[in-house]
Amino acid sequence: MNAALVADALSKSFTTGAVRTDVLRDLSIEIAAGELTLVSGPSGCGKSTLLAILSGLLRPDGGRAFALGQDLARLRPAELERFRLHHTGFVFQGFNLFPALSALEQVMLPLGYLGLDDAIARRRAADALAEVGLGSRLQLKPAELSGGEKQRVAIARALAKEPQLLFADEPTSALDAANGQIVIDTLHRIARTHGATVLCVSHDPRLVGHADRVLAMEDGRILADRRTGAPMPA
Amino acid sequence: MVPLARKTLVHEWRRFLPSALAVAFSGLLLLVQAALVFGIFNSSAVYIRKSGGELWLGYPGTQSIELGRPIPQQAEIAALMDPAVGRVEPFNWIDGDWRGPADKGGVSVFVSGIDTRADALMFADALTPAQRALLDEPDGVIVDRADLAKLGLSVGGQAVINGHRVRIVGVGSGLRALGGVNIVTSLATSRRLDNGDSGGRVAYYVVKLHDGADAAAARKRLQPQGQARTFEVWTRDAFARRAVTYWMFETGAGLGVVLLAIVVFVVGALITSQTLMGAVAGSIREYATLHALGVGFAQLRHVVLKQAAWVGAFGLVVGGVATALVVLLAHRRDVPVQLDLVTIAVCATLVMGIALLSGLAAVRALRHADPALLLR
Repeated sequence: MNAALVADALSKSFTTGAVRTDVLRDLSIEIAAGELTLVSGPSGCGKSTLLAILSGLLRPDGGRAFALGQDLARLRPAELERFRLHHTGFVFQGFNLFPALSALEQVMLPLGYLGLDDAIARRRAADALAEVGLGSRLQLKPAELSGGEKQRVAIARALAKEPQLLFADEPTSALDAANGQIVIDTLHRIARTHGATVLCVSHDPRLVGHADRVLAMEDGRILADRRTGAPMPA
Repeated sequence: MVPLARKTLVHEWRRFLPSALAVAFSGLLLLVQAALVFGIFNSSAVYIRKSGGELWLGYPGTQSIELGRPIPQQAEIAALMDPAVGRVEPFNWIDGDWRGPADKGGVSVFVSGIDTRADALMFADALTPAQRALLDEPDGVIVDRADLAKLGLSVGGQAVINGHRVRIVGVGSGLRALGGVNIVTSLATSRRLDNGDSGGRVAYYVVKLHDGADAAAARKRLQPQGQARTFEVWTRDAFARRAVTYWMFETGAGLGVVLLAIVVFVVGALITSQTLMGAVAGSIREYATLHALGVGFAQLRHVVLKQAAWVGAFGLVVGGVATALVVLLAHRRDVPVQLDLVTIAVCATLVMGIALLSGLAAVRALRHADPALLLR
């Protein structure tokens, strides 16, 4: 199994009151390392659920999910937490930054839980922020940053952990075109230069041209799977 | 490690202020209540604690000093015959009816008749030799300065006790006790005020032992045996404790204190936990993100509990300062207040308990820190 992420006949349904909705239907896919894979589709198509299952945030009803060769269903909750701590990064639609912390501290925070000492965490955090173009804004708090800058801090927070898996859920939907462009380029570059597996979920059509591979989803199934040959971002 | 708990507290202090104030107020209530209760109840023992001597002889079973009854003079003789006894000093205690200015009506008073010699045992720590000397004036009395207003008189004023005219010759402090106004006078004056009801007998004898004598052993020797005891012997501390215990428990006041402390604790914890829960709920998406990144619930709990501890510490300091001010004010106004280290430690523990219990309640709000909520 060479793929970093494998979905094997995944199914998942949610029940709201008396209504049962099948969100994923017997979905299988393999996602390779070192590229940016975009899952696109209308809202409610199950793309976020797919991301949640492949990242170990959610357990499927049926089928199996493998991440880095690890069958996620076999991990106990504490092991799953440890797996996420060491191997995964997340970027969400809302930036979810602590209002009290500077950009540098936001990025250092998870590193502390990884057991890194302060000096190393500080250097790694500063490097990650420099990589997303915020090297000069280390001391600013979220209130002093623009939306695009906040999302780049969130990316740096995920990146500083040096994860093999990076999950992004609608990372650009709260941003304008220019900032959205910067964010997707950054994610793309992380995939290429760090060799990370970047799985991005979005219904934003502007992103399609920037991904290495686009999976089109609808009604819990993958309808199309194509490679775009996107150029390496500048 | 980034100090998330502390940084958030400082940055969002407005959010945490209500809980810190709730803790501070709980601390203030607990401490002031304790200070007042111990102050008031210990004032029932103030006569004993402010006097010299090691043993007290009084009516059998007397539970508190103001409940004294006359005892036979043989108690004094028995005491004087013991080799360990150096001195025996009579202390008279009688009830009186004070009639002062017409607009104050009658006031129930306790009259203490004491030895007026400079080195006397009674009120050795409360009255100076000069004040004692003032009592040598026939019908002269000393009252606590805080009681002057109640009596409607000042120094030099005249009143009537039990039908006998008396004159206020001086004021003291720390002479207040429970249940009525205390009037200090000489033994001779107190006998006159008694109208001869006691046949010249007094309520207590205070015994000073020779230096180095064993008070417990002497008490045992002096303590009469058998059913027909006419007096009882206590060590000074035991008699003081008896008085405090009587007021604290026999009157039900002690139970009231405990109940009020429970109410303060519960209300404080409720307010504090609600505010802390609100603070957790306000950052729930950030906590969920950390959880997604692999930070365990145990570590998130740690952040919340740390915040609770900081809130508790801050509340403790504010409550402590406020209590100090209240106690200072009370001292100036002669309100009996008393705080010892044990009481302060118990109250501080309760206050930190309020904060940490609230933190534990707020931790439950972390259950909602489910990263899946960020994906919707």
